[in-house]
Amino acid sequence: MSLRTDITAPSRPPFKRVLVANRGEIAIRVMRACRELGISPVAVYSDADADALHVRRADRAERIGPPAPGESYLSIEAVLDAARRSGAQAIHPGYGFLSENHAFARAVEGAGLTFIGPPAATLEMLGDKLAARRSAEAAGVPTVPGTTVAVDGDGPDLARLGFPIMLKAAAGGGGRGMRRVDSAGDLGDALASARREALSAFGDETVYAERVVSPARHVEVQLLGDRHGALAVLGERDCSVQRRHQKLVEESPSPAVDEATRAELFESARRVAGAVEFHNAATVEFLLDEDGNHFFLEMNTRLQVEHGVTELVTGVDMVAWQIRVAAGEPLPPAVLDAPRSGHAIEVRIYAEDPYAGFAPAPGRVTAWLMPDGPGVRVDAGVESDTDLPSEYDPLLAKVLVHAADRPAAIARLRRALDETLIGGVQTDAGFHRWLVDHPGFAAGRYDTSFVEREWGRGPALGAEDSALAAAAALQARRTERVPSPTPADTGSAWGRIGREEALRE
Amino acid sequence: MSETEVRIGGEAVEPADGWRLDWADHRNGTGLLVNGERVIPVVVEGGGSEWTVTIRGRRIPVTVRTWRERLMAEAETSARGRIAPVALKATLPGLVVAVRVAPGDEVGEGDSLLTIEAMKMQNEVRAPRAAHVASVAVTAGQVVATGAELLTLE
Repeated sequence: MSLRTDITAPSRPPFKRVLVANRGEIAIRVMRACRELGISPVAVYSDADADALHVRRADRAERIGPPAPGESYLSIEAVLDAARRSGAQAIHPGYGFLSENHAFARAVEGAGLTFIGPPAATLEMLGDKLAARRSAEAAGVPTVPGTTVAVDGDGPDLARLGFPIMLKAAAGGGGRGMRRVDSAGDLGDALASARREALSAFGDETVYAERVVSPARHVEVQLLGDRHGALAVLGERDCSVQRRHQKLVEESPSPAVDEATRAELFESARRVAGAVEFHNAATVEFLLDEDGNHFFLEMNTRLQVEHGVTELVTGVDMVAWQIRVAAGEPLPPAVLDAPRSGHAIEVRIYAEDPYAGFAPAPGRVTAWLMPDGPGVRVDAGVESDTDLPSEYDPLLAKVLVHAADRPAAIARLRRALDETLIGGVQTDAGFHRWLVDHPGFAAGRYDTSFVEREWGRGPALGAEDSALAAAAALQARRTERVPSPTPADTGSAWGRIGREEALRE
Repeated sequence: MSETEVRIGGEAVEPADGWRLDWADHRNGTGLLVNGERVIPVVVEGGGSEWTVTIRGRRIPVTVRTWRERLMAEAETSARGRIAPVALKATLPGLVVAVRVAPGDEVGEGDSLLTIEAMKMQNEVRAPRAAHVASVAVTAGQVVATGAELLTLE
């Protein structure tokens, strides 16, 4: 991996102890950065996670409540108490949970601790997606045509946008509170259900409307800023392979972005960040239409799930630098002007059944064999013999590859997926294995409707896989009562199986 | 074992010829299908007549039955007949957020019976066929484990 050799370690640890207010793979990722910086990581856990891998990777672990997220990982009081008990000086929120909660960021600073993320006022301003849209427009950044104020009543003036339109929750994120409306007749019902979902998910029923850009790609720009006004633009990621607005695959650079478009995207991202008080890590999300026009969607004021893609192509350890800039260290030229090299792709391994509309597939992970070797990185939150709690996000791991160019990266990803063996639960690994052989993906021609259009509920089981599965099950049954043969007596074991079968029939 | 039958999705399947299953780890079911030219990593789980084989990331349920087991299964099915009550069970753990039917209701195939929230998603439990709701074992707000009985159709 092309880790930059001109980025040096700090002369002393930025903090003595950091509380990681998250779980799963991202908690482990943050703890790894802590270890490398000489920081002692502290885990938090709910009762559902008492035996979780992230707990065992920390020097200290604090219980924060029962399994329900609202009473544990989302409880500001419980997390702050844990930080006080453990003597942590700073809190890293990871992604999701409290990471973009401005009240949490304020409470952390109020308790005399450092919040490892952008300023609370910025979280508050950009958390209101409508205010963020207005701010981007004021900064001269193109936005998707739509409303800049909340939709009133039954939305009498929305028809002027032209259908289809997308309704979105002002306080939203993660696809919740989003509704596509194809005609004026569907508007009333869609508004009511979008408001209902927004209210239940975010406690705020405000929705706004945007024209649907289709086909579109979802391209985002990674930012990293220090407390002294320096801002690094660490390249873009293409996240268009998604289903129901949830990303499945991310890559950098985007196969759809040429140098001119890239320069425009970076300039827009700088302008969005320049309009607010900003430091630490954030991502500016854009839609890209067929003609290469980009439109601001939103700015995420936290570490992204897919940050590893950027780390691979830039050699910049995003999490370590989040911690270092939070402690006041300025970004060095080696980070500010980090060159990008090669091509990186990430696939997300979810406990979801892609052959059943990506329905959750909880259970117990039995076998867990992850790929390794040249150019492969795995960020995982589970291991073999792990029960998956049903209360939390079903992301199990991220498999990332880095290679000289896109075709080499796809070949490497195919090899890595062939090394990946997961037992006990259905995951979307089967989808990813299909994807790397898809000619449209190989050509870089895909948009945000690719999964729905090309995958649907997945291909029918092929004759070859069917016959192979039959052969495997038949032979497994034949060897069932035989202890696993040692290499020395394999031959006689097969003979014994034959004799046993003859007796059984 | 020539009378052994292998079925996938209700269809009889001829096992691929010339492939051998080599266990990598018998305990967790990982192994390789080997034919002298190619190897294909697999996970094989299960026991008795019911197996699940994972190939290229896809879990494939496979039934392997001897002729004796086949005869017994067929006899059981015909004895039970078509009017036997069916207990619907939770296929995943979660929170029951809505129950849409009550004992005595008539439901059609595909009708939504109740909703279970798991891993931040709402999952509909639907009627597998037209039926009469005999009993309902859960109420909204209840947490259920995998395999918990939800309701009985007849």
